[in-house]
Amino acid sequence: MVEQIGKQIGKQIGKQIDASEVTRVAVIACADWQAVAAQCELYSRKQWFDAVAVLHAQRVVARTAYAAKQGVQIGMRRREAQAVCPELHIAANNKERDRLMFESVVRAVGELVPLVEVSTPGVILLATRGPSRYVGGDDALAQRLHGITHNALALLADGRPIVFGVGIADGRLTALVAAHAADGRYLVVEPGESAQCLAQLPVSVLADFAEIDRDVVSLLHRLGLSCVGDLATMKPSDLVGRFGPVGFELLRLACGFDRHPPITIAPPPERASTHRFELSVEDVNVVVATARTVADELVTHLNNQGVSCVRLHICMQTDHGEQSDRLWYQPEGLTAAAMAERVRWQMDAWIATRGLTSGVVLLRYLPVGLRAREGRQLGLWGGSTQADEWAARAIERLTTMLGSDSVRVAQWRGGRDVGEVFALTPAAVVDMERRAESVVIKETVWSGALPTPSPSIVYDEPLSAEVNDASGCVVSVSGRHELSASPAHVVIGRHAYNVVSWAGPWPVEERWWDSSRQRRAVRMQMVLARDGDDTAHTTTHAVVMVLEHGEWWMTARYG
Amino acid sequence: MSSSLPVTQALQSILPEGVLVRGRTVLCSGDAAMSTALLLVCAATQAGSWLAIVGVSDLGLMSACEQGVALQRTVLVTPTDNKKDWTSTVAAVADGFDVMMLEVPRDASESDARRIQTRIQARRNVLVLVETSRHATPRSVFAPDVVLHTQTTRWDGIEHGAGYVQSRHIGITVSGRRVPRAMQHVLQHVG
Repeated sequence: MVEQIGKQIGKQIGKQIDASEVTRVAVIACADWQAVAAQCELYSRKQWFDAVAVLHAQRVVARTAYAAKQGVQIGMRRREAQAVCPELHIAANNKERDRLMFESVVRAVGELVPLVEVSTPGVILLATRGPSRYVGGDDALAQRLHGITHNALALLADGRPIVFGVGIADGRLTALVAAHAADGRYLVVEPGESAQCLAQLPVSVLADFAEIDRDVVSLLHRLGLSCVGDLATMKPSDLVGRFGPVGFELLRLACGFDRHPPITIAPPPERASTHRFELSVEDVNVVVATARTVADELVTHLNNQGVSCVRLHICMQTDHGEQSDRLWYQPEGLTAAAMAERVRWQMDAWIATRGLTSGVVLLRYLPVGLRAREGRQLGLWGGSTQADEWAARAIERLTTMLGSDSVRVAQWRGGRDVGEVFALTPAAVVDMERRAESVVIKETVWSGALPTPSPSIVYDEPLSAEVNDASGCVVSVSGRHELSASPAHVVIGRHAYNVVSWAGPWPVEERWWDSSRQRRAVRMQMVLARDGDDTAHTTTHAVVMVLEHGEWWMTARYG
Repeated sequence: MSSSLPVTQALQSILPEGVLVRGRTVLCSGDAAMSTALLLVCAATQAGSWLAIVGVSDLGLMSACEQGVALQRTVLVTPTDNKKDWTSTVAAVADGFDVMMLEVPRDASESDARRIQTRIQARRNVLVLVETSRHATPRSVFAPDVVLHTQTTRWDGIEHGAGYVQSRHIGITVSGRRVPRAMQHVLQHVG
């Protein structure tokens, strides 16, 4: 029965595909931009590393071309990466840095093409129709873009090579693939040849460049559809019957079209939201707060029309007539919070490049890409509730009041010290609707970590301590991790304690191969009682003591 | 909006109403204050409430996670040192979060505390105050509805040079405005 319905829908959709048209786009893509951005930032501090990798949650998420040549791969753990490439410099994931470093490239391209779309740092998209005609054809445009980007990147890295590619094709996916395949040059796919170009590629490109779920791609493999071309030959009805709406998107992508059909119905009249400030505003937070209210109205309006915005043109003007235009893309549809966040990014970039000399007087949202709103599939945690909405508002308000560094959320990154398992990131830069994925503990057993339960008080600054044995000598640990004697007395600050019981020592050996960053320490658990109390009613404290460089520290307490 | 938030089973028999009643203030003190406070809020966060941890220094997030606090609905707020800003920060937090965990700064005055408690009652939040021994205030400026004073009586699993800390017995004295007669409880607690 379900298959029957799927087939019927598929037949109707098959007709739609032919009728839909596709925009021709140019893409400038710097592979592994996060690593390149980290490298450029280090260079701006007069340090140059050929091999740089960016880690997130203890896994490599990006690495420079040199590191890749040495064998560092995406998804490797820190240790594995350092093992294959000992001179590797590890940098933390930092979205702000990625955006800011890319801004000079965006600005350079912006001088040729006024309206560009930056969906993620490292990738610029632009519609070729106007610019191509202006410079005299796709080839000429690709050449120009290549030259501009090359110069901009050369300025960033002082002439050292940074790999990037330019691709022009029908549809985003083909253009992205072309840009990544161009390998330092440019590649133009002739109009109408996108489907042929994609046909030979493995289906994993759909996950890499078109944000199709990896589970779906894996399923395609298991069904024997290993090339994009295989998908294109499938009957639409079969794909829709098996995969639902995603099947239709897969087919569109395989045929060289964009993932979502462009909505061609007449736009609702209030589609563009404009806000004029009565007085020019210089504070970013105020602009963003206003942007949020305007975005709320816009999103409510679009929701009532049954559509959500996937591409948004944000335009801002200052009192002196400077203007900033930028396109933003989010395949799942932009929420009001996401729109306001994009305004913040655009403002930050604008300020960083010193593009404005006075306060903002006008803010305009222009939703240029709409898609039918099919209701977003929310995770296990259920739909957003009133409580979520209130919390989101409070977070925004607190961020404005206290600054983004004072309102933080935890993100898992793993580690063997209790203090470093979770990193605190400003709540303003985190997508609160997808929080559930980022805090989940990915590896429950971390080798070398203290046994659970973990201490509930972890001191930001460890307290210096003295640990003595019964005869009053300082307890030390030998090279073979043997205690010189059982600990009996502990002095922390002005207080003296008796050791009731103890466990350990558990050694930590980190980066023993690197003399400048190596760390050797032992950790112990001790139960302490205040000296002088009688044992019947005394309070006992369990603490974590660390011995490092011959000194004892109290780092945590079971409070 | 329901009038109360759930608590874990272990604390149901200890709290006077067996739940976290909205608009109330609970103070956790003693040597196990932090983990008791975390245990107190974990069921509420799992049930969909948001938790703001305001000005609590040295909190072990790993422990919070192990005790079942839903970290995806937890936000850590660091108020400025300025006392006036502290009150307005807490007020702003009260607007958006169901549960608030607060470490009271030393110089907080009784009028600040009263204003915050009025706000809490009006907004129907739950305020959990943590008083760790490191930053012990001489007397609480707040008038808590329930006070959970904790004292660890026994550590399990750790011996003289062997094992590791596995659980503990906490003696909890329950008192406060809403508790007619102070009660003693013993809780076996992991973490």
